[in-house]
Amino acid sequence: MSYALIVGEVRRGIFEERNLDTIGISSLLGKETCLLIPDNAYTISEKQVDTIIKVKTDEEAFLNPLNLVGIVEQAMNTYGKPDFVLFTHSSSGMESAAYLSGSFGLPLITDVSGYDKDTGAFYKSYYSDKIFGEFRCVGQAPYVLTVRSGSFKEFVAEKAAFPKIEFIENVAVNTSRTFIEYVEEEKTEIDITKAEFLLSVGRGIGNKDEIPNYEELAGLLRAVLSGSRPVIDKMWLPKPRQVGTSGKTVKPKVYLAMGISGAFQHIAGMKDSDCIIAVNKDAGAPIFQYAHYGIVADMHKVRDKLKEMVKG
Amino acid sequence: MNILVFTKRVPATQEEELRILGDGKEVDLSKLPFKVNDWDNYAVEEAVRIAEKTGGTVTAISIGDAESDEVLRRAIAMGVKDGFLIEVEKVLQDPYARAMLAYNFLKKENIPFDTILTGVQSEDDQFASVGGILAALLKVPYSSMVIGIDNIDKDHLVLRRELEGGLQERAKVILPCVLSIQSGINEPRYVSIMGVRKASKVERKIFKAKDYEENMSSLIEVVKWVYPPKKGGATMLSGELEEICKQILGIIKEKGVYQ
Repeated sequence: MSYALIVGEVRRGIFEERNLDTIGISSLLGKETCLLIPDNAYTISEKQVDTIIKVKTDEEAFLNPLNLVGIVEQAMNTYGKPDFVLFTHSSSGMESAAYLSGSFGLPLITDVSGYDKDTGAFYKSYYSDKIFGEFRCVGQAPYVLTVRSGSFKEFVAEKAAFPKIEFIENVAVNTSRTFIEYVEEEKTEIDITKAEFLLSVGRGIGNKDEIPNYEELAGLLRAVLSGSRPVIDKMWLPKPRQVGTSGKTVKPKVYLAMGISGAFQHIAGMKDSDCIIAVNKDAGAPIFQYAHYGIVADMHKVRDKLKEMVKG
Repeated sequence: MNILVFTKRVPATQEEELRILGDGKEVDLSKLPFKVNDWDNYAVEEAVRIAEKTGGTVTAISIGDAESDEVLRRAIAMGVKDGFLIEVEKVLQDPYARAMLAYNFLKKENIPFDTILTGVQSEDDQFASVGGILAALLKVPYSSMVIGIDNIDKDHLVLRRELEGGLQERAKVILPCVLSIQSGINEPRYVSIMGVRKASKVERKIFKAKDYEENMSSLIEVVKWVYPPKKGGATMLSGELEEICKQILGIIKEKGVYQ
């Protein structure tokens, strides 16, 4: 059978929406789709795949790359070698895909966001989306891919029949890495996901001392101040103010992004905003591909002028 | 604890226009400034902090051209004891080939370690894979996205991994292990030009990649380089600053979030 093995991403009982992108690329590749997930009650639109292999293990053990390599090996021994093993490009997929590639010497392309049916090339971002590489695998299949969220879900196709259900019963649990617990983010008074208007600042702000100036502008505009990863990493704004995949996903009426270049992890957290206005010095910044309105300018000058006009 | 930390010299592409040469054969990096990969800066800092706490030494390793010595000097200025350069003749795009090179090097030179740290990814190729492949080749446990190390014991670490949506996972990992370090885990110390200059007095060892090429064939290859596909794109507002700001205020008023 010519098939793609999809490692389902599940977290705390939820079948992540990102899985639609691995299912989508599998159809685009023209492969039978075989989904590997823990044996748990997930909400899955079942006609999207041909086979579901349910693994008798808990979610945390399943997501552990040290165990997952053994689980994939069992699946390959039982059902034959797939042409592809597909992961989401996420905190879980990124680590397990690499560990799988290293364990069996398999070709690996990560963060795949496009596929050309005619040439068989996979597109992968370089330099924060300023350039893409067209890659092909030259080693032995199965090829391991991690797939960028939002890139392939449009290719998900309804199957004629309900999937076949199979089980993997005995899973060897590795003890050299073990799950202890989930740690939740502390709750704060301001919830940026509830804001109708977000003023968001990024790397371009340059300096911690500038933060109060943007707080002032946000106050004048009655917006809430948020930030992208570089600002949070430097602890210039608290973690609950982070927009992006590792922070919050927001959908305000207006998202005013200043000095944010637009790494895809950030874009994924704000792209569904009603109106995105981006201010950036770099005319080539990827955020201009996603914004509704763009301004190529020094963010500080725009800030000062806006303040002056609003106070005016 | 003996720690190895990988560090990479990358082009600084923020605010730079990148050009593709020769019908997709090459990306022109010749006019760009280079710097240490941001994630590796956090990894070096974390390695030095662990060594300061537990004793032991930190060795920085860079795979790259002769110029990569720069990031080794920088790491030494941050408190790393030794710097090893594995000099390659051309860029290895395949993370598997790079991990295999590192693996062969560690084995052949018999370099002991309790922990190997890498950055989560490098800013240029964003593969986020070399650490995980290397861990599997070494047959040691791996964790990516490490955003905190809570406890260091003789035979294990307790760490936190960053997941999505602000959630973290606490895990116990037995030593030796490979960890990829997420940005924001610490506040990397400031490195002065004087510090880097002083660090150049510490000898760095140079190794040639061709001595460690066993099983190192690339499993993937670049066919060509292309510019990103154009999406709808933004309506660009231009003109005098005042005119632009008037338009911004007009838009946010129209959207009803500001009166």
